[in-house]
Amino acid sequence: MSKRFAGFGEQHDVVAQFNLSIAKGEIVVFLGPSGCGKTTLMRMAGGLETPTAGAIKLNGVPLGLPDRRRGMVFQSYSSYPWLTVEQNVAFGMRYRRDMTAAAKRERTRHYLQVVGLTEHAGAYPNRISGGMRQRVAIARTLAAGSEILLMDEPFGALDAQRREVLQIELRRILQIETKTIIFVTHDVEEAAFLADRVVVFTRRPARILSIINIASRFGPERTLALRDSQAFFELRNELLAIVRSTAEEERAA
Amino acid sequence: MPGSARNTPIAGILFGVALLAVWEAVSRFGFVEPAFLPAPSTVASTLYEMILQRDLLWHAGVSTTRVWTAFIIAAAMAIPLGVIMGSFPVVGRALEPTIDFIRYLPVPALVPLSIIWFGVGEATKLFLLWLGTFFQLVLLVADDVRRVPHEYQEVAATLGASRRRSLLDVSVPAMLPTLVDNLRVTLGWCWSYVIVAEIVAADSGIGFVIWQARRFFKTPEVMAGVVAIGIIGLATDQTLRWLHWRWFAYLRR
Repeated sequence: MSKRFAGFGEQHDVVAQFNLSIAKGEIVVFLGPSGCGKTTLMRMAGGLETPTAGAIKLNGVPLGLPDRRRGMVFQSYSSYPWLTVEQNVAFGMRYRRDMTAAAKRERTRHYLQVVGLTEHAGAYPNRISGGMRQRVAIARTLAAGSEILLMDEPFGALDAQRREVLQIELRRILQIETKTIIFVTHDVEEAAFLADRVVVFTRRPARILSIINIASRFGPERTLALRDSQAFFELRNELLAIVRSTAEEERAA
Repeated sequence: MPGSARNTPIAGILFGVALLAVWEAVSRFGFVEPAFLPAPSTVASTLYEMILQRDLLWHAGVSTTRVWTAFIIAAAMAIPLGVIMGSFPVVGRALEPTIDFIRYLPVPALVPLSIIWFGVGEATKLFLLWLGTFFQLVLLVADDVRRVPHEYQEVAATLGASRRRSLLDVSVPAMLPTLVDNLRVTLGWCWSYVIVAEIVAADSGIGFVIWQARRFFKTPEVMAGVVAIGIIGLATDQTLRWLHWRWFAYLRR
């Protein structure tokens, strides 16, 4: 099974001549400088924007408007402030008619537990930390039953420690639940740590500069120990060198 | 702002008392002719007398009823229209210039026209109040909807919400706190217009009482009327602030 991404962006050529296939259950990180078009690409995958040419396909069928198969986790405004943590997670199933109220409640409880927020079920998002708010958004998307999670710099507003905790958490959750992830970031270490594959982008218009397979090196389990290892350090430097080369190219041009 | 209800009102009360003391001293010691500026104590006793002998409470009730009737009609029309204008750019672009034009017409300038159309009865007053509130409010509401972060609707869309559902389930609750604030502010304007309307064409209401007193140069009565408006305004405003604080507790950190 594969998903094919084939798009020809232009307008201001945000995304140019782009072609990428993502396998089910794969975690693909889009790494590139801010404003390079990687977010636009992800939004097209979510149906929030339409490619100018080409198509984005899921299981060979072109995708259109947003639907539950593709869930979004944004960096900010990721949860609804007027709903409690629990209600936010339950909101993921609000428009599902194929489930009973009892099943929805049970599922809400389950995913609250998966992301470790059971104790904060009754709290409002403004009263919990930014990291917890992102967990709420992740739980909501899981509760909705999305096959694909589109995450737009979800940990970008967090401090380094919380970010690290959430990265480990996300990998842990994904070992329980098989989901396909497109994760956008400009943080090289985050990309190296989370990804099965890192797609490095050039500056606008976004083109694939390089694709680095990380799953083949580190496997699915990502721990703190890995993060401190020499192998990880080398990979990080490798990625950094690629990212820097785009900046240099631009300066030369 | 919304959180201030919890802060003790001591500073505000102290300032009010100090101002009254200065005012009292200025009139007591004859710095100003009492016919121009009666002392607060005189105003207070006049106010008391007017309540007992001149049906001031009844007049206040008449004015309050006028304000709330017109205000509720205006809000009931402005909120849905504003939401539609803010959510559907075409509608917004179509209506905005006309509404903006009417919004800038000063209500007093329309009194003669209003009398020609509706005579000097209740209809004229309600029309003037509606005129002064509706067009202001509709633009404020439209702006409130536009300011709802796009992430909120996008998340709802990826969870399977229709455009209409996401409007009702997400945009409306998201804008509610600012809406209540705007209602509070426009209600204050409504009070200015009711006085204008009552001065020009009425035989009841606080505006009428003030204008009558002026004709006989009864300055304490004029001031007592003004103070009565101030008291009602302060009470209404504080009540609405308190409700805001109660209803939107989730906004507090």
